[in-house]
Amino acid sequence: MRLLPILCGLSLLGLPLQAHDVLLISGGPALRSFEKYKKASHDKYWGNFIDSALTRAEELKKDLKAGDKIVWLVFRPSYTRRTAEDQTDYLKIIEERGAKLGLSPTYFDNKTQLFTLLRRDGSKEKPKICRLEYFGHSNKKCWMFDYSNRVDGGGLEPLVVHVDDLEKISGSSFTSDAECVSYGCHSGEEFSQRWRMIVGRPMVGAVGKTDYSDGGMPKLSNGKDGSWVY
Amino acid sequence: MGLLILFFVWIAIPAVCLAPPLPTRFSPVVEETNSESSMALPSQEGQEAREDEEIRKPVDEKVVRATLAAAHTPAKHGETSGESWIAQRTMVEDYCGWGWIKKDKDSWRQARWVALEGTRGTCPLPHTFLPRPEDDKNYQYRFFGTFAPYRAYEPQADVWVDVFILKGFMSLGPAKEEIRRPPPAQASSGVNRFAERGANVR
Repeated sequence: MRLLPILCGLSLLGLPLQAHDVLLISGGPALRSFEKYKKASHDKYWGNFIDSALTRAEELKKDLKAGDKIVWLVFRPSYTRRTAEDQTDYLKIIEERGAKLGLSPTYFDNKTQLFTLLRRDGSKEKPKICRLEYFGHSNKKCWMFDYSNRVDGGGLEPLVVHVDDLEKISGSSFTSDAECVSYGCHSGEEFSQRWRMIVGRPMVGAVGKTDYSDGGMPKLSNGKDGSWVY
Repeated sequence: MGLLILFFVWIAIPAVCLAPPLPTRFSPVVEETNSESSMALPSQEGQEAREDEEIRKPVDEKVVRATLAAAHTPAKHGETSGESWIAQRTMVEDYCGWGWIKKDKDSWRQARWVALEGTRGTCPLPHTFLPRPEDDKNYQYRFFGTFAPYRAYEPQADVWVDVFILKGFMSLGPAKEEIRRPPPAQASSGVNRFAERGANVR
């Protein structure tokens, strides 16, 4: 009861009671040596999931609540390998592009590290997540940070998040009104529903493919009757 | 005198007709010498070359092999000692993996479908030596390496496939026949069941 007047005072002053994190996750690109001659060749451009995440960060910044901050998680190994293949330092470019928006990438190297980064208790050091958005390869059952990069046409088990892994993400890490979006292909066909059931927060996902080819934010592929669903 | 002439003719004609032929410019000259290093004449070389040509006459199969792009694959690369497997490159459109792998004594029915991972600095994937990844389709290798403790996710069929970490290989040439067995697929979802993947083809 004694805290009530203080809380009321703080809210009247417009100060945030608790800051939250907005999480943007960028998956990695494929290697051209695997994809070059395929009919549906992926990731001719290395930075599909970087540019889209940064475009979204720019949009979100405008409506960011006081105290909230954007945390940009980037799957590092795929960019390191693409760097070796193209002889271009992509990690440096990623950091430079992020710096223009005042963002610094937080790298993760496998799904275990990602789960650790997603573990929040609402403290100042680990604020809860009020929004999570994913940019990367996926199918209806899996987020594939690593795709056609270590092995041809697939991703390694420690580097993908399958629906069977969702139990490792706690719903208590999210605020009660947290919004989640997956901009990967087919997420709305199963992943979103399983996320809602297990993590406890709704997730918007695509039915059909998503297309990053125009740069910036992905859109639903034309002519496939795609839609965004919860 | 007449008798003398007849006698001379009787002696001379057989001597001329039955005499050994005079050595020509191209006929071999056999000299009995004590030297072991006798120079071969050009005529001898030509003769040997002609014999070689007959022996090394290109067989159709050899011509086909030599013109395969896979002929560019090194005969041996990386660490080629220790336990080995026989592997056959098999390509399945839009399916994760490299091909089939088995032990020497096993039949191809017992082979395992694998995704292949190279070892940086030791052994890249064999197709990286070729102009295109499919150039070694149905080519056989002897693989050296280990199975990884993790698996690879195959997104078309939603299955996990074994990963083989390649340390070295030896080329064995084209396989006698293609392996037509389909790679692993879930009962509910065969290959290309949901083949529509990311359109981020930029």
